[in-house]
Amino acid sequence: MGEIARLDVTIRRRSLIGYTAGMALYTLVIVALYPAFKDMSSLDDFVKNDSKAAALFGISGSLSTTGGWLNGNIYANFFPLVMLLLTIGYGAASLAGQDEDGTLCLIATLPVPRPRIVLEKAAALVLQALALGAGVAVFVYAGRAFQMDVTVGAAVWTTLAVCLLGIDFGLAAMAIGAYTGGRTTAIAAGTTIAAVSYLISSLAPVVSILDKLKYLSLFYWSVGDDQVTSGVSVADWAVLVGVGVVALAAAVRAFRFSDLH
Amino acid sequence: MSAAIETSGLSKHYGPTRAVDELELQVDAGQVFGFLGPNGAGKTTTIRMLLALQRPSAGSATVLGLDAQRDSVAIHARIGYLPGELELYPRLNGRRHIEWFARARGLHDTSFADELVRRFEVVVDRPLRELSKGNKQKIGLVLACMHRPELLILDEPTSGLDPLMQNEFEELVRETVAEGRTVFLSSHELDEVQRLADRVAIIRTGTLLMTDTVERLRESAPRKVVARFAQPVDPAVFAGVDGTTVTGHDGVRVELQVTGPIGPLLHVLADHDPIDLESRPADLDELFLDLYRDGPHG
Repeated sequence: MGEIARLDVTIRRRSLIGYTAGMALYTLVIVALYPAFKDMSSLDDFVKNDSKAAALFGISGSLSTTGGWLNGNIYANFFPLVMLLLTIGYGAASLAGQDEDGTLCLIATLPVPRPRIVLEKAAALVLQALALGAGVAVFVYAGRAFQMDVTVGAAVWTTLAVCLLGIDFGLAAMAIGAYTGGRTTAIAAGTTIAAVSYLISSLAPVVSILDKLKYLSLFYWSVGDDQVTSGVSVADWAVLVGVGVVALAAAVRAFRFSDLH
Repeated sequence: MSAAIETSGLSKHYGPTRAVDELELQVDAGQVFGFLGPNGAGKTTTIRMLLALQRPSAGSATVLGLDAQRDSVAIHARIGYLPGELELYPRLNGRRHIEWFARARGLHDTSFADELVRRFEVVVDRPLRELSKGNKQKIGLVLACMHRPELLILDEPTSGLDPLMQNEFEELVRETVAEGRTVFLSSHELDEVQRLADRVAIIRTGTLLMTDTVERLRESAPRKVVARFAQPVDPAVFAGVDGTTVTGHDGVRVELQVTGPIGPLLHVLADHDPIDLESRPADLDELFLDLYRDGPHG
């Protein structure tokens, strides 16, 4: 990791620790509650009887199984939400925000090519997403102590897919910020795309018109296709990594030719 | 003498607004070059184009013999920059700023940074959010100068500094040029620039008004002459003298502004038997204020 990435992580370390500790604690509470709910058939009845309402929260299938419980309480909603708060926030702040604050001009007058500045900011983004994800993965795996049938692979790969989801949106916010020069614009655009993406993926199983659109949703390729239970496929990885590469390239190109304030 | 900075038709337009228009500038190496103009004149925009922070709408610039846009990374390795509106990281202290920028520049020997910290009495152990503007400005100066760059580009460098530290800054600038390095000093403070600069450029509304040595500017600057007479005189008799303007009168006292040789005026004054005569040295303030207000032909 280069000095620019190190600096950004340093100045955001307090919020990163807060996000990571909060999300880890939430995960621990959820897995610790599992034994109390795993035999409640009424939860599954609720999903069956009102599948559209359940879908709004990203819930589909059984809630009493390990996969269903983790999906319905962590992976399909709260974890991606917190991840996106972190990554879209940093993505918008890293170029556009720091330019608005006036700190970016000193960075941009270091003997460092502009593409490398973007790559280092992307590295800082990845590190923050992985730190948040690590806390979740550890406590999801700790679910084994609470009667959960969790493998290391399921905990790690599904968590990593959510990390990639966050990284993709963070890079998109970074690129939008570099193109427009506005932090608010980057946050608004990133959040709007993420919200639409979430709704398409979560409602696709119950709203037929959205079923064909689900392939346009990054949520679908991350957690929307029951990856917690069935695993993350090669196609999922390809889409998540591919979108990230495209967003990164767009951010590099935009920042290379942008005027700083 | 080689040019540290050279611009050719350098322009920056924002829609119909011409922030900088066809700027032709040459800054010789080893000099202090003063870049003067009122706020909003285009000084900062010019600097940003020299540093490749902004792309020109037209024209080109070379810095240390390299293309300002294409070779910006190589240029950045050889320059030090203090922005006009310095923003640093509020939660980090001065020491961490200095250490981080030294590492980012690949600077291993920080002894000069330590010397600057001592000379400017920089507070390095408190977060920047607790420091005054002047103390932050000192940290900015250390960051710009600590690697002994070939070219220092300083935008309003003494903003917020107390008089003692302004003197220390001027000493640092003199040491810098004594070592053969170049200082590009952008300011709206005439006093500071005329004390330090070898050459001065004046810019207003994006247009270069003039470039000259401070010496020659001083020669061409208007001097103020106040004459008192025993009897009331008609000030119109002085208005016709070459290079002379009547700026005030109250019967027996006449205030005049003279540009160029004072001899013709003295002949006319002598014809009216003055009882007292006061002549103040050439005042660059007046020249610059005239230029700021009216342009070179105003």
